Amino acid sequence: MRLLLSLCLLLVMLFASMLIGSGNVPFVDALAALGNQGSETARFVVWELRFSRTLMALVVGVCLAVAGALMQTLTKNPLAEPGLMGVSAGSAFAIGLAILFGAGAADLSVWPAQIGALVGCLLVIWISQTQNLANDPVRLVLTGATLSALLLSSTAIILMLDDRVADEIRFWIMGSVAGRNVNTLYHVMPSLVIAGLIVAVFIRPLASIGLGETVAVGLGHNPNKIRMVIIIAVALLVGAATAVAGPLIFVGLVVPFTARAIAGTDIRRYLWQCLLLGPCLLVFADIICRVIVPPSELPVGVLTTLIGAPVLLFLVHTKRIPRL
Amino acid sequence: MKFSLYLSRVIGFIFHTVLLAVSLGFVSPLWAENRLVQTQYGQIDVPEGIKRVVTLHEGALDAAVALGIEPLGAIATRGGKGVATYLADSVPEITIVGTAREINIEAILALRPDLILASPTMQKRQYNLLSKLAPTIVPAVKLLSKDAWKNNSRVYAQALGKSVELEKILINLDQRITSTKNQLGQEGLTATLVRWTPQGPLLMSPDINSAQILAQVGFQLKGKEAIKAGRPHSDPLSQENLNLINAQWLFLSSVNQDGNKALQTAKLSPAFTRLEAVKNNRVIVVDGQLWTSSSGPLSAKAILDDLQQQVLSTQKPN
Repeated sequence: MRLLLSLCLLLVMLFASMLIGSGNVPFVDALAALGNQGSETARFVVWELRFSRTLMALVVGVCLAVAGALMQTLTKNPLAEPGLMGVSAGSAFAIGLAILFGAGAADLSVWPAQIGALVGCLLVIWISQTQNLANDPVRLVLTGATLSALLLSSTAIILMLDDRVADEIRFWIMGSVAGRNVNTLYHVMPSLVIAGLIVAVFIRPLASIGLGETVAVGLGHNPNKIRMVIIIAVALLVGAATAVAGPLIFVGLVVPFTARAIAGTDIRRYLWQCLLLGPCLLVFADIICRVIVPPSELPVGVLTTLIGAPVLLFLVHTKRIPRL
Repeated sequence: MKFSLYLSRVIGFIFHTVLLAVSLGFVSPLWAENRLVQTQYGQIDVPEGIKRVVTLHEGALDAAVALGIEPLGAIATRGGKGVATYLADSVPEITIVGTAREINIEAILALRPDLILASPTMQKRQYNLLSKLAPTIVPAVKLLSKDAWKNNSRVYAQALGKSVELEKILINLDQRITSTKNQLGQEGLTATLVRWTPQGPLLMSPDINSAQILAQVGFQLKGKEAIKAGRPHSDPLSQENLNLINAQWLFLSSVNQDGNKALQTAKLSPAFTRLEAVKNNRVIVVDGQLWTSSSGPLSAKAILDDLQQQVLSTQKPN
């Protein structure tokens, strides 16, 4: 029932995303264009421009929400999130390096982003296993934020080295689904399929880790193996999302938080909600970005931060952060 | 002893006064009235025999070079590390003393300038500092006003004592503009001047000097409504609003050296390929340093060269 509601919400968002934009295509024309009627311009705007960015928002929303849920279960920390923990920043830094060595932002391959994300992930896990840190969610986030800042300022150094790079990286750092090359979606599809399979196979063992390592071992799972595999899935997801849209923070925080509020703390249940609510959030944020400063647009990263920051503050302010 | 010293001083004084009077008498028709320069921060007295000039505005460097002076220091062009490419060969030994946003006072001091030609946008606070190093010329010309680059150049030329030479150059340029206009032969060709950035296209103001030149040779520049008042260009336009840059001719500027790469990148965007100018192969890739950052007589000449080479050659088949 709740899943059905979320699904309806997502459908409404997707529909709205096709009908609302920064241009001067009237609502009625866009509606006609959806049915392949109406003016040529309206059809172009709806099917070429809005459809592709909606698709990108959809994919990126799924990736970040699922990655957030996986990281939170893995670290048993509700604040662990790709954007805050430096995974996205690692990915962006790798993209910066790739652009510096000659890649173009428009036809970028996905691999650097995913390798960067993997390195970011490993750093996070390594830090989270440092003594005492894992027991204190806020300290872990502080560490992640530090790592994030370090990586972003390293990216800023690349920015200063080369002006062409600067222009293209600035575009990436902001995080946006507008004017991105929709072909990137095809390139990320294989890794999304792999990540999907990993999640499907390992979600039960992962849930058992959530109950404690002894439980996991007792059920015949190998916690270290599970961790490694899940980390790879997170890297694939975050790398894909970053390659498509640039680093976006807070999506992986807000969505699993909401999903848990709706469906409880068992990842096997709330992951479904994440799958639906992630795209909802990103598509919604993207729509707002289109209409807020015509004839220009805000990068969607600005809006996800605006939405996510209060949620983080709320989470930190509640006296006891529930351990997962 | 004391008396003889006194006498020699008196004689020296008289001698110098006579010399000064003589020199004024002979030279003043050429120099004297030129050397009191009216600027934004009052009348500046520029002494004779200027040798060490530092320019803190791209238009000032351009004007100085056009008038045969090689400044010692200049600011870097926008998005570059040195001066604009079209000027680089004329000033091989120039020292970069900062950017338009941030100038390095110590670097200027090290050059021991005897004249500083600054941007019309220079703030009073910074002017106060610089005027302690050397007479500092801040033209009282509003940027983006009509013929701003000409009027700026006039102020710099006056400070350099080369007003006559400049007027000759300007007359030549006007003739060149008229002949280009005749060669184009058509009134009211629409055009837009755009800088393509990864975030989207920026529509450049019809008031920047390259756009003014485009208008003078007969192009009608579109899209002013997308630009906020007083700004040189719009914010990056969204893909859905690319029709704002639709025109018969599209001048696509790139801050990078590799302008054709900018065109290739732009062509990846489906909304860009729908534009009239793109369909008709009337996109002219231009150097952003020259077209959207620089100003001055040499810049105007180079822009006219571009038009001659690119537009007129493209147009012939029709």
